[in-house]
Amino acid sequence: MPGLDDRDGQDIDDMPDFGDHVEDAIFSQILEMDDSPDDREFSAPLVLNFFEQASETFDKMQTALDDSNLDDLSSLGHFLKGSSATLGFNKIRDSCQVIQQYGHKLTVDGAPEPDEKVCLKKIGEALKTVKVDTAELEKEMKKFFNQPE
Amino acid sequence: MHQDSHSSETKPASPDVGFVFNLAPLALLVLSPAWRITRASARFLADWRVPTDDCIGQELLPFVEAQLRPPRPTHLALLTSSIDDAIAARAERTSKPINTRLGVSWKARVIPVFNNDELLSIVLEWHEGPASPYEDELVKPGFSTDEAFRILVQAVKDYAIFLLDTKGHIATWNTGAELLKGYKRDDVVGKHFSIFYGKEDLDIKKPEMELEICMREGRVEDEGWRYRKDGSRFWANVVITAVYKDGVHVGFGKVTRDLTERKSAESRLIAAYEESEKLKSDFLANMSHEIRTPMHGMLSACTLLLDTPLSARQRDIVSIMDESGQVLLQVINDILDYSKLTSGGFSINSDIVGITSIVTSVVRSVQATLPPSVHFELFLATDLPRSVQGDPLRYRQILQNIVGNAAKFTDKGSIRVRASVEREDDATYTVLTEVTDTGIGVPEESAASLFTPFMQFDTTTTKRYKGTGLGLSIAKSLTELMGGRIGYRPNPDRHGSVFWFTARFKKIKSLEQMQDWKKTISSRDRREAPIPDVDIDGLQAELKMVSSTKNLLVVEDNLINQKVMLGMLRAIGFKNVGLASNGLEAVRMVRGKPAAYDMLLMDINMPIMDGNAATRDIRAAGILVPIVAMTAYALKGDRERCLEHGMNDYIAKPVDKKRLIKVLGKWLLRMTDYRKNYEEQLTELRRQRQAMGQVTTPGIEARQFLFESPLSDTSAASAASAASAKEIGTVPAASEGPSLSEDFRLSTRPIKAAATEASNQAEGVGGQVKEPHDGIKPTETDRNIMSHQQDDALREAKKAYHDAQSAEMQHFQLSQMPIRTLQPGQVKPSPSVECVEAHQSPLAGDDQQPTSSQLSAAADGGVASADPKG
Repeated sequence: MPGLDDRDGQDIDDMPDFGDHVEDAIFSQILEMDDSPDDREFSAPLVLNFFEQASETFDKMQTALDDSNLDDLSSLGHFLKGSSATLGFNKIRDSCQVIQQYGHKLTVDGAPEPDEKVCLKKIGEALKTVKVDTAELEKEMKKFFNQPE
Repeated sequence: MHQDSHSSETKPASPDVGFVFNLAPLALLVLSPAWRITRASARFLADWRVPTDDCIGQELLPFVEAQLRPPRPTHLALLTSSIDDAIAARAERTSKPINTRLGVSWKARVIPVFNNDELLSIVLEWHEGPASPYEDELVKPGFSTDEAFRILVQAVKDYAIFLLDTKGHIATWNTGAELLKGYKRDDVVGKHFSIFYGKEDLDIKKPEMELEICMREGRVEDEGWRYRKDGSRFWANVVITAVYKDGVHVGFGKVTRDLTERKSAESRLIAAYEESEKLKSDFLANMSHEIRTPMHGMLSACTLLLDTPLSARQRDIVSIMDESGQVLLQVINDILDYSKLTSGGFSINSDIVGITSIVTSVVRSVQATLPPSVHFELFLATDLPRSVQGDPLRYRQILQNIVGNAAKFTDKGSIRVRASVEREDDATYTVLTEVTDTGIGVPEESAASLFTPFMQFDTTTTKRYKGTGLGLSIAKSLTELMGGRIGYRPNPDRHGSVFWFTARFKKIKSLEQMQDWKKTISSRDRREAPIPDVDIDGLQAELKMVSSTKNLLVVEDNLINQKVMLGMLRAIGFKNVGLASNGLEAVRMVRGKPAAYDMLLMDINMPIMDGNAATRDIRAAGILVPIVAMTAYALKGDRERCLEHGMNDYIAKPVDKKRLIKVLGKWLLRMTDYRKNYEEQLTELRRQRQAMGQVTTPGIEARQFLFESPLSDTSAASAASAASAKEIGTVPAASEGPSLSEDFRLSTRPIKAAATEASNQAEGVGGQVKEPHDGIKPTETDRNIMSHQQDDALREAKKAYHDAQSAEMQHFQLSQMPIRTLQPGQVKPSPSVECVEAHQSPLAGDDQQPTSSQLSAAADGGVASADPKG
C-alpha cells in the first residue's frame, strides 16, 4: 500500500511536537484516517469532540468530587481514560488513571488506600492537573487543525 | 688370451706409463696421427670384445665400421667429424654415440695430443652411452624409449611417470615423480610401488588389485590418497597401463597426478552448490509466502461466491476454482514447509499436547471429506497419556498428512487410526500412531521411495491424485524432529496400506508445571496463531477483498472510541459496521440476528451492561460469533478473564491498527469460524446436490449444528441406539424436502455408518465397548482457547465412563461431528437440538432426541447447546 505509506510519512512530518502530551504513534494513526492531510475531516472534529467530552467529564467529576462520590469519579476517570488513550493523549490519560484508581480507593500502584479523604484529595489534585493539561493541549490542537494547509 | 698379449706389452717390471695405461679402468684407444690404432687398454678390449690382433695396427675407421651394428655410415661420419673437430680445435671433443654389436652405444671422448703444432697422438676414451632405439628394436627387450621421449618424460615435473616391471617393482623414475613423491631415483628404483599406498589401501590389497585389473582391462585408473617419502599424503589420480612388447607383457606404465588442488576446488564447488541450494530454498520460502497471501484472498472470494445464488453450471465452475485453489494452496504450503525443513529453519515448539483430542480432531476433519462408503475407526489405547509436552501443531500436521492420504486413496472400506504408547521411560512417552486403510495401497517397487521428496507413485498422465509428493517427506522430517520414525507396510488383512509413525513426548512432570502451561497456553496459541509472519499490508489487502461482505459490530460506550474504531475499520475497508453503546444493546442486536455478524469488537467496561456480561448472554443464546475484547491497560490475567467469559480473543486499547488488522485477519480470514466450518462440511453435500441439479443456498437455520450419533453407557444400549440411529438414518433420506435435505444428509449419512458399526459391535465384538466420543470438541480454532476447560469436561466424562467400563482399547465410531464451541455457562446439556428437532419431528425425531441428550449427558460439556433460550 504505497499510497498509505506515503501519507503516513507526510502526517508524521506535518505533525508538530506535542511533547509528552501526545503519543505520536497513536495520534498519527488517527491522522491517517483522514482522506488527505489537507482535509482533516475525520480527525479534526474527533479531537474537538474529545475536548468537549473532556470538558463535560471534568464538570461531572467536579460535581462528584463535591459530593465525595468516589464510584462516579472512578467510572468517569475510566471513561475519559478510554478516549484519551485512544487518541494518544497520554498526559490526560495518566491523570484519568489516577482518578479512576483513587475512585476505587486504590493507589496508582494498586495498593489499597482506605482513607477516602486521601483519595478525594488525590483526585482533586489530579483533576486540577488534568484540566491544565487539557487546556494546554486543546490550544495546541486547535492551532494544529487550523493551520492553513 | 687378451691377457697374454697385454702382458707381453707391459712386461717391463717398473710400472711405466704403458702399464698404467693398460690397467686403467677406461676403454682407451691411442691413435697415431694417421688414425691408426697403436694401443688399446685392456678394458677397451674387454668392453668391445675384440682380440688385440684385430685391433692394434688397424685403421680406426675401418675397425669401428666393422663393429657398428647396424652398419651406420652416418655414425662413422659423426665420429670422424668429432675427431677432426678436436684436432682442429686442439681440444677434447665428445662424439655422438655409436652402436656396437653388443647393443650398447659408445661415445668417444676425443683427446688430441700435440707437441707444439705437431699432432703426436689421438686418445679416444670410450664411454658407454645411452642405447638407441634402432638398436633396441633389434637386440634389447624391455623398457627403452626414444631419446626425445626419454628426455620429455624425464623432464616432466607435474606428473610422476615411471615404469614398473611385471611384478610391480619400480624400474624408472622421472623428475615429476621425484618432486611429487619425494623419493630420489636411487631410493626407489627396484622397490615395489605399494610403498606409495596408505595402510588402508594395503589392507585391502589395492596395489595388487590394481595390477590385476590392469592386466585384465589393459588399464586402470584410481583416485585416492598416496603417501610421500616424508609420510605426508596427497590426493592422487593414478593411471596404470599395461605395457606389452611384441605381445609379451613386460611391465606397467604408471602416471600419477596430484589432485589436491582440484579436490579442494571441488569442495569449494560443493560448498557453493550447497549455498545456492539454500538460497533456492529461501527463495522458495519467500515466494511461497508471497503467493499464499493473495491465494487466501482468492479462496475467500471463492467461498463467498459459492454462497451466492448461482446456476448449477456457475456453481460447477466456481467449485473447480475453489478446489484448484485449495490444491494450489496445499502445494504452496508443502513447498514452504519443505524448504523450511531442508534449510533447518523448522523448529519444534514445546507445548501441551492432547494426543487424543488431536487424533479425534484430525479424524473428524478428514471424515467430512469422505464418501459414505468409507468409515472411520478410531482406537485410542487406554494408557495414552492425556497431556504430554511436545509440539501439538507438528504432531497434528503429520497425522493430518497421513490420514489425509488414507482418505485420498481410499474409495471404500475403512480407515483405522490407532494411537498407543510404544515405549515409556521416566521422562518421555513414545507414542505410536498407525493409520490403516483399505485403499489402493502402494506398489511394492514404490514402497522404498515413499518418503523421498517429490516422489509420487501415481505418475500416469491422467494423474487421478493431486499433490506435490512432498507430504510424506515432510512428515518424515517432522517425525525425525520429534525424535520419532515413520514407516509403511502393506495392510496385512486386505488391500491397502498401513502408515505408522512414532513421536517422543516429554512427560509433564508436576501439577505446577501443568498449571504454568495452562496459564501460558492460551496466550501462546494466540501468538502463534495461523497468521503467517507479519504481512500486514497483504493481510489488509486480503481483508479489503472480503470486507464488503463482512458484518462487524463494535460495542463501545465512549463516543470518541466509537468514532476511532469506525474510522479504523472504514480505513481497512469495512463498511458494514454496527454500533452498540453498551452490552445490553449488543446482546439485543446479536440475539435479534443470530448469524448476522461475523465478528464483535467488545469493550469491557461499559455502563448498563459490561462486555463480560454481554458476552455471557450472547454465548448463552448459543451464538458463537467471534468476540474480541477491547480493553485499556491490559494487565496480566485480563485476557484470561475475557476468555473465561467466553470471548475468543483480546486486543489492547488504544487499539493499534496493525494489531487490529491481525485480529481481524485471524478471525475473518484464517479461522474457520462458526459458519465456515459448516460450509466445509457442506462441500461434499453441494456436490451431491449439484449432481441432482439442485441449487444449494444454506439458510440461517442450516447454520445450526448437528449432533453426532447416539452414545450409550453399555453395549446393549449402544445396540439399541444403533438401531434407532438406523431408522433415523434411513427414513428421512427418502422423504426429505429440499429445504431440509442438506441438514439431513449431513446428519444421517454418518449415523448410518455408525449404526452398522455399532450393531456389528453389539453382535460380534461383545467385549469391545464404545466410548462416548470425547471430541465433539470445538474446531481447531476454538480448541486453542477452550482446550483446558474442555479437557476438564472431557476428563470427567471419561472418568465416569471408565468407572463403569474397563476395556483394553476404547473403540469409537466417529460420525459426522458437529463443530461446536464450548462456552462456559453452556456446559449443561441441552435436551434437544434445535435444527435436528425442527427438521426431524415430522419424520423420526423422537428417536433421536433421547440419544442426543444421552450424548450430552454422557460425553461432555463440550457440546454447546443450541437451545434458543440459552
